[in-house]
Amino acid sequence: MAEEQYAHPGICLFTVLFKFSALVFYILCSIFIQSFVIQFVVTVFLIALDFWTVKNVSGRILVGLRWWNEVDEQGQSVWHFESLDQQTLETLNKKDAWLFWWTLYLTPMVWVALGIVAVIKFNFDYLLVVGVAIILNAANIVGFTKCRKDAKKQIQQFAASTLTSRMSNTIQSAFMSSV
Amino acid sequence: MSGIDRMNLNTSSQSDIDEIESLFNISVQPATLEVPQSVPPARKPSSPPTIPVSAPLLPPSSVSSSSQAFSTPAPAGPTLSTGFGGGPQYNTLTEPVWETLKRDLVRVSNNLKDVVLPNPYREDPGKALRDWDLWGPFFFIIFLALTLSYSASENKSKVFAVVFATLSAGAIVLTLNVQLLGGSIIFFQSLSVLGYCLFPLDVSALVCQVNNTKLFRSLVVLVALAWSSWAAYPFVSTAVPSSRKALAVYPVLLLYITVGFLVLANN
Repeated sequence: MAEEQYAHPGICLFTVLFKFSALVFYILCSIFIQSFVIQFVVTVFLIALDFWTVKNVSGRILVGLRWWNEVDEQGQSVWHFESLDQQTLETLNKKDAWLFWWTLYLTPMVWVALGIVAVIKFNFDYLLVVGVAIILNAANIVGFTKCRKDAKKQIQQFAASTLTSRMSNTIQSAFMSSV
Repeated sequence: MSGIDRMNLNTSSQSDIDEIESLFNISVQPATLEVPQSVPPARKPSSPPTIPVSAPLLPPSSVSSSSQAFSTPAPAGPTLSTGFGGGPQYNTLTEPVWETLKRDLVRVSNNLKDVVLPNPYREDPGKALRDWDLWGPFFFIIFLALTLSYSASENKSKVFAVVFATLSAGAIVLTLNVQLLGGSIIFFQSLSVLGYCLFPLDVSALVCQVNNTKLFRSLVVLVALAWSSWAAYPFVSTAVPSSRKALAVYPVLLLYITVGFLVLANN
């Protein structure tokens, strides 16, 4: 049996690239760049790029999940978690999904370890960078995990509601036609 | 099914729907290409968003929080039973990225205009900055920290770290303050507002680079401070019960005065 290839190699690459380069830059930056400010800005920029990529590109294409927040007319905040339908979910590439979830969960653990190192070295300035990284990664984790959990629930709900709406439509049309 | 799904979608996400349609049309029907529109400024009433589970997940585009930074992406548009996987190829994704970025930039500038320029919706906390996003505030904080750090004669990294930490922690604490006072503004909306109101101080920090005399700097910072406070006041005061207005507004003013001093004290 042929080994499954990545269906979206470019996107997988970018998913990993930004995370990896943010980490590498953070660790190695003091060798190349003396100014903390530049280190901070570049690292945080890479982290932000990674957040955006994972949320908007990798999430929807590799695993078919999406989450966002809206403010409705009453001024209430509504969180949306969306996923593909069941059949399309199953056709998604397994390798892509594996890569996505692994990097999603692994990266914040590495950042936490780096944070502990920073505390031990009394580099509290760098703790700011680690803080930003952890917050953004945690946001993505929470969002996508909720998406995954909601996916199954929604499919069942949707199926149930479609059934009832279809039935009521049929009844209505039957009623109308008989009148 | 696609018709029902489209009707149920939030109309403020029209641009994303168009973007997705453009992807779909690019791959399937090259002749008809829809251009994504920018986010419509008028907020039409949206039906309660149903989750179109049967709709394939098509590329949302905006960030966020990220917002983004975290601005909000939007639900998918046309349905295709084979899903989007077979459709848009990799290189068409690079196309909407520009559209995405453009739309995010438009959103940031719209929010900025809403906050710092006179705006009839300011008094209504429900409508205040509906389309919140955190990328604008993020950029302004970084910019201010960078500018102050650049002009500092010594301890540049300390200045940067202090300004960044003060502003981010300050914004979060102030938002919590409003929430705890029984405010009706949403956490991220408030963060967003406080971040956007930094814009005048950003401008003042930039202008202060030009001239180093104390008088000039004091004047510029004073004007910027007044502008910031004027911008932030309605959002914060209308969000809390009227008996607690001062409690909510005072810390905000204090934060901006502190930042003003940081700008002033830089030499």
